[in-house]
Amino acid sequence: MAIQFILLLSRQGKMRLSRWYQTVSQKEKAKITKELTTLILSRRTKMCSVLEYKEIKIVYRRYASLFFVTGIEQNDNELLALETMHRFVEHMDKHYGNVCELDIIFGFEQAYHILDELILDGYVHESSKKEVLRRVSQQDELENMDEFDNILT
Amino acid sequence: MKGLTQFCMDIRNSRDAQEEHKRICTEINTLKGKFTSSTNGSTRKRNVCKLLYIYLLGYNEVKEIGLRESMKLISSSVYSEKKLGYLTLGILLDHENNQTTKEYLDGLLDTTYPYLVKDLQANNDEFNCLAIEFIASSLNVSIDENFVVNPIINDSNENAADWLEITDLVYSFCCSPIHSPVIKKKASLALLCLIKIYPNVILSNNNWILRLLNLIESEDFGVVLSAVPLVDILIHLSPQYVKSVVPMIATLLHDLVVRDKCPIDQYYYDTPAPWLCIELLSLIEKCFLLTEIDRDGQQSPVILVTDIDTNSLGKLRSVVARYIHNASQKIKGQQNRNAQSAILFQVVSLIVFLDASKEAIEGAIHALVLLLDSKETNTRYLSLDALIKLIARSSVGLQPSSISARFEQHLSKIFILLLDKDISVRRKALDLLYTVCNSENYIPIVQKLIEYFPSSDFILKNEIAVKIAVMAENFATDSAWYIQTMLKLLSLGGGNPNGTSYIGDEVWVRIVQIVVNNENLHSPACESIVNLLLSDTDGASGKAGVPENLLKVAAFILGEYGHLIANESDISSLSNQFQLLLSAYFSSSLVTRAMLLSTFFKFTIRFPDEDFVPDVIDLFEAETQSIDVEIQTRACEYLRLATVESNKNLALAVVKPLPAFDRKENPLLTRLGNVNAISNPKRSNSAVNALQIAQEGSHKNNLLGLNEQNRSSNHLGVNSISSSSLASTSRKNSMYQPRRTSNIDNPFEDGNSEQVPLSPNWQSGYQRMRHYDAGIFFENQFIKIVYRTIRDGPRTEYHFTIINNAAKTAGTPITKLRVLDIHSKASKENPSYLASTTKLPDATVIDKTEFVVETKVREILSDSDSPVISMTLTCGGSFNHLALKIPVSLLKTVTGTSTTLEDFKIRWIQIGQQLGQAEGEESIHISPPHRLVSSNIARLMTRIGFTVVYNTPDNEGNILVMSAGIIHTSKSNYGVLITTKSVDAIGKEFLIVIRCTGGGLATLLAQSLREILEDRAT
Repeated sequence: MAIQFILLLSRQGKMRLSRWYQTVSQKEKAKITKELTTLILSRRTKMCSVLEYKEIKIVYRRYASLFFVTGIEQNDNELLALETMHRFVEHMDKHYGNVCELDIIFGFEQAYHILDELILDGYVHESSKKEVLRRVSQQDELENMDEFDNILT
Repeated sequence: MKGLTQFCMDIRNSRDAQEEHKRICTEINTLKGKFTSSTNGSTRKRNVCKLLYIYLLGYNEVKEIGLRESMKLISSSVYSEKKLGYLTLGILLDHENNQTTKEYLDGLLDTTYPYLVKDLQANNDEFNCLAIEFIASSLNVSIDENFVVNPIINDSNENAADWLEITDLVYSFCCSPIHSPVIKKKASLALLCLIKIYPNVILSNNNWILRLLNLIESEDFGVVLSAVPLVDILIHLSPQYVKSVVPMIATLLHDLVVRDKCPIDQYYYDTPAPWLCIELLSLIEKCFLLTEIDRDGQQSPVILVTDIDTNSLGKLRSVVARYIHNASQKIKGQQNRNAQSAILFQVVSLIVFLDASKEAIEGAIHALVLLLDSKETNTRYLSLDALIKLIARSSVGLQPSSISARFEQHLSKIFILLLDKDISVRRKALDLLYTVCNSENYIPIVQKLIEYFPSSDFILKNEIAVKIAVMAENFATDSAWYIQTMLKLLSLGGGNPNGTSYIGDEVWVRIVQIVVNNENLHSPACESIVNLLLSDTDGASGKAGVPENLLKVAAFILGEYGHLIANESDISSLSNQFQLLLSAYFSSSLVTRAMLLSTFFKFTIRFPDEDFVPDVIDLFEAETQSIDVEIQTRACEYLRLATVESNKNLALAVVKPLPAFDRKENPLLTRLGNVNAISNPKRSNSAVNALQIAQEGSHKNNLLGLNEQNRSSNHLGVNSISSSSLASTSRKNSMYQPRRTSNIDNPFEDGNSEQVPLSPNWQSGYQRMRHYDAGIFFENQFIKIVYRTIRDGPRTEYHFTIINNAAKTAGTPITKLRVLDIHSKASKENPSYLASTTKLPDATVIDKTEFVVETKVREILSDSDSPVISMTLTCGGSFNHLALKIPVSLLKTVTGTSTTLEDFKIRWIQIGQQLGQAEGEESIHISPPHRLVSSNIARLMTRIGFTVVYNTPDNEGNILVMSAGIIHTSKSNYGVLITTKSVDAIGKEFLIVIRCTGGGLATLLAQSLREILEDRAT
C-alpha cells in the first residue's frame, strides 16, 4: 500500500506541491508531471477519480482551484487514497484555518510538514487527526522559540 | 520570512514569463553573494528558503549552492535551522539520470553519514525525529523483486559498516521501550527503507524479527499502522513467521470491528480506523498470496486457510461478515461512504482466501451490486473492479456455474453500465462481462456486446471485438452460431478501405484458422459470407461498402471453399461470388486487393471453364501497371501462370488446398490486456469446462478441428497462459519474488535446526515429559508452564498451562504472549511425525492460559528429532523469547499388553528367530546416577507405559524386570519386549535387552531408555 507520489496542481497546471516517495530522476518527474497535468485538467468533473497510467493508478480530486493527485500501486485501495487526500486537506484546513491556494503557496514549508506527519515513505503513518496537528503545532512552537532566542541574542 | 513573502509576491505579480524569469535571475545573483562564513543562522535559513522556492519553480542551477548551505544548516544546533536543512536536502537530492541506485545511495551516505549518526545519537527526541524522517523519505529507493538475492548493499561493500551502524541505531528506536510512539512509528518506516537496501542486516540478526513483529501489537495506532509495511517485508524475508502473525492481526481486527474497541480520535467520520483496517486486511491477503518454492521446485503457498487455528479464523470471518453487513446499510455522508466502500473492496479481495461459504460470497456480490447504483462515478467504477476480482478468484473452489447462475439477474445492470457517462466505467463493465462469462451465459453476453458494438467508443472497439472473439471461441458449442456471430462482428466493425479498422487483424485471422481447420464449417461459412456480402453490397449505395475485415475473410474462405456451395443456388454460383468480390475490389485497400487477386487466381486455375475467367485475366493485365509493388508482382506472376499453357501443372500445385493450421495458442489471448492479468485459475477452469462439455457433447465444439490430442493441448495452452498470468499477478501482489533460492541467504532454511538456540534449563522439563505424563515443563521468574499429556495411540496431546509468575511477585500481567512456531526437525516430505498447535494461548495473561500441541508419530523415529516450541512474551517491559524442546518419542505411544510370563518367553524366542539378533535385538549397559532397586525399575517401566510381566522382589540381589508393550505409529504397530538385569550387586549397572518386531526399532528404543534411565537429555 505504498503511495508513489502526491502532487498539487493548480487549475492552470502549475505545480503547487510535490512529494515523491520513490527515487525518480528529475527528467522522469517532469515527464510524468506534464503528462498527468494534461490528462487530469482535460477530464470533466463528473468523471471517475481513478485512472490507469502506465503501471500505476492515479487517483485525483479537485478542491476549489487545486487538484490533489496521487499515484498508487496496482493493488492499492483507490478510495482509501482519495480519503487520504481528504484527510490531508482537513489537516491543512484546520492548521491554516480555511485553507486556500495562497496559503499553500506562501506557507509551503508547513504544508510539507503536515504532509510528512501524515505520510512517510509512502505510507500513512498516523491516522489520528489530533496527533498530526499536535505534532505540527508543537514544532511550530519549537521554531517560534528559536526565532525568539534569535531576537534575544 | 518577509523577504520570501515579498519575493513570492513579486513573482506572482509578474506580467509575463520574461519578467518572472528576470526577477528570479536577479534574486539568484543576489543570493549567491549572501552566503558567507559569517552569515548567521537565521539569515542563512531565510535565504535557503528562497533558494528552495526558486528550485521548485524549476531553476535547477541553484541546486549546488542549496546543497552546500543545507549541510551547514543541518549541523546547526538550532531546531528550526536543522529542520529546514533536512527539508532542503530531501528536496534537492535527486536521482541523477545517469546514476545507478547504488551510486545515488553511496553519494547520499557519503554526504550525510556523520550528520545522521550524530542526530540519531543525540539526546533530543526532535533531532532524532528529523534524522529518521530524512532516512525514511530520502532512502526509499524503488527495489526490484529479488532484492534479497541481489541487494543494493551487501556485507562486502566498503561502506557496509556505516549502513549497519545507521540501521542498528534506527532499529533501537523501534524496539526501545522508552521512546515515544512518534519516534517509533517513524523509525519503523525508516527501518523498512534500510531493510530494502541492505536486507542482510535483518537476516543476520535473527532475534530482531521477533521483536519487530511485536510492534503490531503496540497500543498506539500510529505505531501499528507504520509497522504493517515492516511486518509485510519481514514475513517475505522469513515466511516461517506468517503463521504467528495471522492470529495477531485477526485479534486486532476483531477488537476494532466486532468488539468496537476503537479510540474516538481514530474514527474517520463514523468509520473506525479505516486506514488501519485496510492495511491489516491487505496484510492478511498478502500472507495468503505469499508463496515459497518447495523441494520439487514448485511454488506453493506458505499458508493455507487450514493452517490457521479455528479461533483466529472465526475472528476473521466475523470481521468480514460485519463489514459486508455494514455495506448493505444506508450510510450518510460521502466521506463515510467512501471509507466504508474502501473497506468493503478490501474485504472482498480477501474473502475467497478464507474458504468462505457460498452464502458469504453471494452476500459480498449482493453488496457490491447494490453499489453499482451509486450516483458517484468512483463507487460504480470501483464496485465493478471489486466484482471482477471477486468473481475471478471465487470460482477457484466453487462450481463456476453456481456463482454465475445467480449472477444472471445482475447482468442487465451491468449492461446498463456499458452506457455509463464515464468511459472508465464502460471499460470496467466490459471487463466484468468478460469475467462472468461462462458456458451458460455466453450467448446473451455476446449478443449484447454485438448490439453494443456499433454505439461503443472508438478506442473500446478493438477491446470489445477481441473479447467477443475469445468468449465465443471458448464457450461456443455450436459452430454455426460461432461463425455467424463472428462474421456479424466483422461486418459491423470491419473497417474501411483507408486501412483504419476498429478490429485488429488477429480477429479475422483467427476466424480463418478455425474455419480452415473445421471441415464441417467450410460450406456454412461460405454461405454466411455470400449473404453478408450481398446485403452489404445492396445497402452499400450510400455506405462505405463491404467492411475490410469481412472482405479479407471472404477473399480467403471463398477462394478456398467457394466451389462447395457453387451449385446450391444462383446467388451462390461461382460467377456470382466473383462478381461480388470484384465489385468490392476497387473500393478496398491495397492489402485486401492483393488477397483478392489470389482468390481470383484460385478460381481461374481450378475452374478454367467459368465464364468470368477472361475478366480475371483482364484484371491481372491491368494490375501489372499497378503502382503498388505487391499487387504488381502478384498480377505479373498470376498472369504468367494462368496464361502460359506449360505452367498449368505448376499453377495447380500453387493453388493446392490449404493444410490445417497447427497453431495451438489463441493469439487473441495476448491481447486481452488487463482482464487477463487479474484472471487466475478461473479462466483456466473455464477452459477446462469447455473441454469437458465438448467431450460430453458432440464433436462440434472442436472449433479448431485439430485432432483430439492437439485440441486438448490447445486448451492446455490456454491453461498455461492463465497460470502464468496468475504467477504474474501474485508476483505483483506480493511485490517480491519468493525467495529461498539460496540457502546461504536464509539462515532459517529447513533442517538448519541448530539455528534455534534452546532456552537455558530446558532439559529438566524435557526429561520430566519423557518420564511423566504431567508436571512442570518450564519455570522462570515470569512464567511457569505445566503440562498434561493425553495419549491416544500414535497421537499425543500436550496440554500446556501457562501461569503468570510475575502476578504474584510484581502484579504485572504477561502481554503479547505468542506461540510462534513448532520447529519440527523431521524432514519436510514424508515427515516421521507431525506437530501442530491446535489451541493458541491468550495474548495477555493475568492469571493463566492454556494451549495445546498435538503430535502424531507416523513412523519409527529417533528422540533426537523432537521439535522445539518457540514463544515470545513481554513482561514488565522486558521481551522474552523461549525455545523449549518437547519430546516426540516412540515411548509416548506405548501401551501395555496383558502378557503372561509364558507368552513373554515364547514371543522373545519368536522374535529372535524371525528377525535375528542383528535386526530385532539390542542390548546395552547402562549406569544410572542413583541406585535402583527392582521396584524402581518396574515403576519406571509402568510410567512409560509398559506392562511389567515379571520383576524380582526387592530383597533379592539380582534384579530382573521383564516388561512388554506395543508401540503405535500411523503406519504400523510394533511389539516390544524388554528385560532389565542388574550386572553388579548394588543396582548401579544394568544390562537392558530389547527385542522388537520392527527392524531397527530396538536400537532407537535402547537409546531413549538409556537417556531416561541415565537422566541425560540431548
